[in-house]
Amino acid sequence: MDVSRRGFFGFLVRGAAALVAVGAVSKALASRIFREELPARSIAPSNQRWVMVIDLAKCDGCRDCTKACRAMHFVPPMQDWIKVFEITDNPTAGAYWLARPCMHCDNPPCVRGCPVGATFKRTDGIVMQDNDRCIGCRNCIAQCPYGARSFNWADPPHTAQEMARPYSMEYMYPHRKGTVEKCGFCPHHLREGKLPACASACTMGAVYFGDELEDAVTNSKGETIQFTKITKRGAAFRLMEELGTEPRVYYLPPANRKYPSPVEKQHA
Amino acid sequence: MNAREQNLLKSVTVTTWRFRIWVGFLLAVLAVGAYAYVLQLRQGLVVTGLRDQVSWGLYITNFVFFIGISHAGTLISAILRVTDTEWRRPITRMAEAITVFALCIGGPMVIVDLGRPDRMWNLFRYGRIQSPIIWDVLSVSTYLVGCLLYFFIPMIPDLALLADRHELAPWRRRLYKRLSLGWTGTPGEKELLERAIGVMAVVIIPLAVSVHTVVSWIFAMTLRPGWDSSIFGPYFVIGAIYSGAAGVVFSMFVLRRIYRLEAYIEIKHFRNLGLLLLSFALLYLYFNINEYLTIGYKVEGPERRLVYDLFFGRYAGAFWTVQTVGVIVPLLLMLTVLAWPRYRQFTVQGVSLAAFLVVIGAWAKRYLIIVPTLQTPFLPAQHLPENWTNYTPTWVEWSITAAALAGFLLIYTLLSKLFPIVSIWETRAEGEPTSEVSVAGASRWWRRGTAANTTALVLLAALLVFPSRAQAKAPRKLPPQPTVITIESHVVPTPASEPTGEAAPSQPDSHRVYFYAGPWLNHPPPFGGQEEKTEPPAIAVVASLRNPDGTPAAYKAVTFALQTGFGVLQLGSRPTDARGHVELVLRDQRYGAYPITVSFSGDDEFAPATSRQKVEFGLPPAPGLPRTGVLITPYATPGIGIPFLGFYGFMWVVFTYTFGYLVLYRMRRVRQENGNRTKGGD
Repeated sequence: MDVSRRGFFGFLVRGAAALVAVGAVSKALASRIFREELPARSIAPSNQRWVMVIDLAKCDGCRDCTKACRAMHFVPPMQDWIKVFEITDNPTAGAYWLARPCMHCDNPPCVRGCPVGATFKRTDGIVMQDNDRCIGCRNCIAQCPYGARSFNWADPPHTAQEMARPYSMEYMYPHRKGTVEKCGFCPHHLREGKLPACASACTMGAVYFGDELEDAVTNSKGETIQFTKITKRGAAFRLMEELGTEPRVYYLPPANRKYPSPVEKQHA
Repeated sequence: MNAREQNLLKSVTVTTWRFRIWVGFLLAVLAVGAYAYVLQLRQGLVVTGLRDQVSWGLYITNFVFFIGISHAGTLISAILRVTDTEWRRPITRMAEAITVFALCIGGPMVIVDLGRPDRMWNLFRYGRIQSPIIWDVLSVSTYLVGCLLYFFIPMIPDLALLADRHELAPWRRRLYKRLSLGWTGTPGEKELLERAIGVMAVVIIPLAVSVHTVVSWIFAMTLRPGWDSSIFGPYFVIGAIYSGAAGVVFSMFVLRRIYRLEAYIEIKHFRNLGLLLLSFALLYLYFNINEYLTIGYKVEGPERRLVYDLFFGRYAGAFWTVQTVGVIVPLLLMLTVLAWPRYRQFTVQGVSLAAFLVVIGAWAKRYLIIVPTLQTPFLPAQHLPENWTNYTPTWVEWSITAAALAGFLLIYTLLSKLFPIVSIWETRAEGEPTSEVSVAGASRWWRRGTAANTTALVLLAALLVFPSRAQAKAPRKLPPQPTVITIESHVVPTPASEPTGEAAPSQPDSHRVYFYAGPWLNHPPPFGGQEEKTEPPAIAVVASLRNPDGTPAAYKAVTFALQTGFGVLQLGSRPTDARGHVELVLRDQRYGAYPITVSFSGDDEFAPATSRQKVEFGLPPAPGLPRTGVLITPYATPGIGIPFLGFYGFMWVVFTYTFGYLVLYRMRRVRQENGNRTKGGD
């Protein structure tokens, strides 16, 4: 088939028009799919960046934090939203206690992997868990290297107190079967200007909590210290830094411990 | 209709009592599985052996296994069709059938694994394209539709043929008539059909490769030891084709025996597919060596425990058995019957037995990929009961697994009754299939598209050292007086550079700069990412201490404190100078306005005093998500959305073209034109 010059130009013009039309349509489509603004629930009530600092030198493994957390959130049995591990990095260095809440990572693998946005990052740094939406695929459990997530394998035993309020992802109860649970830094407490349950319950004052933008963290004893100062002078580290998860929980090294280590405690 | 076709149709027309017993048995297994699932729905996943440590188990194993088996259809059928291999004709239908049925069983296994299947709709309502789970939903559903079309389109002529068979029940003939879409078998229709099949065969190959790659990505996108591997995509694809081809061989063997298809499925089919299976066994062996040698050689970090457990520890028995039974033994067996002329007479049995072992081994291998990794967490499992750290599947999981297998066999059985399992029109041919196309030539196709998907993260650490300033005040002498404190604050102007002697921690700590795909995978910076925190200015708080007359209180210790959200930050004390001034320079990383309390505890000459004033520090960064987060936004990001939506969207366009346009629309047009022409001719 021969193509005349006119026909070819016509083809070019029609082609250009088609391209423009396709471009406009795909742009309109893209602006609907790839939205820029954050949904309301991702925006925290106030502009803060919460951080936690756990001083391992002060931790004596009493697990008051775990108990307070359980009482506060009616945590289902077998779950530890803040769990105290006995860690031995190498046989020579000796053992220490390691309290592990949710790390509220700035590069959270769980949030990345959640298919429905049931777990999401809030602007104040908290990784929220919405159990109205969770489908229970447990991809977040596979994703989290800290083991900070638990699943309600059965319908957890309920108490009247727990069932008295409607579900809120801030205080995170009543608990529901088939959904994932985790620590949330007690957002309902933060709203009222109170420390999270674990931080205020730590009798050793080992758990500091505060706002990175205030550059200050406070523990249960009311001691407020400058955040950047202790992280720098105290050589603070984050758990599994090499994984690039950028946790918001910092640890001060278990140097010069004041209390017996897990091993010493056993021998005593 | 000749005797050959009569014979092929026998599988559709004749029903024996053995068939009924078999179906009854499968239904019974299904019923037990259904009971188990109802139990699981009512009590939750607590009825399984899964717990927080090992939260995926048998169900996910089954999912990966069946998706793997489903690769048979693509391989045997599409590749052999594209390469125009003649001997494929009698076996393509079987292969395609396996694909469709395995997908129909494998897909729902994920739903069985869900804690809240009632909320499945959320996947579509709130789906985030950043999640590998959504990739799976997208790819498996696309693949299922594609395979259904690819199974159905080549069957149309056979359906038309069946619709004309008078010995069949009327309802069946009506069904065939409906499904045959008015096929009349004119050359125009045939050409369109061939074109539709050709297009489908071409697009289904990359689609199949993508599906099993995406399945592997569920694991490879985590940080877990053993899963965090860039080889996983091709490793899974090869493993899938390996098990799928074995599935086809084994089903060929079984159907050949049951339906007496010796005349159509010949030794050469077993031989050719055996060679294919053999080459994939070698490839799979190669991938296994690659995967385990690289982690076994270095035994780094958490992988050390995994490698130990697999090679010598609690999984060693299972691991070596599976590697032997699933790869080594089939390999040797096939070598014997295919390469050794003396044992050539056992080709059919030998290859089929090897295929059977491969299928069993494939399932076990999936289990060994999933469970040991989950039993090797980063942080040790402590204070947990034995059944939380050690996964043992319960009867519920086993019966649902058995039901899945039974369901697969049942669909296969029933549909092999309903539809001819050997393509009639394709085998009806211009003479016997002649050329035996070499497998090696064809296999070039399958090695394509398995390019490893390797994403590299490059980290660069840059240390920024900012100067800090020294301050020095020379004390002078002044007379004493009672107290009033006034507080002022101002921003300390920062000269570009000034040498420093003070040890005060100054500047942002090492800013690790990421060259990873962050900005590309997330929105580019202007799109609402958290702003890079600008360094807050140094703030000088100046307090002056004097008595009501205005006489300054010199050389007195004054304490500064700052009220934070949770407490009071002590800023230490400073002496006033001769003019009663005291300056405290704060270089903290602080934003916003905070009340600062300046207090003087009093001494013999001056009464104690306290004053409080709000001091403005730097402007806080606007709220947003952290920029260090990759793919964490609630909305879709173009970097990850466009490739996935583009690829699978293209597939849907092709499906619409082949089925909607070629098969439904064009064929009808061709028939109409034909009808008009014949009418006109009369």
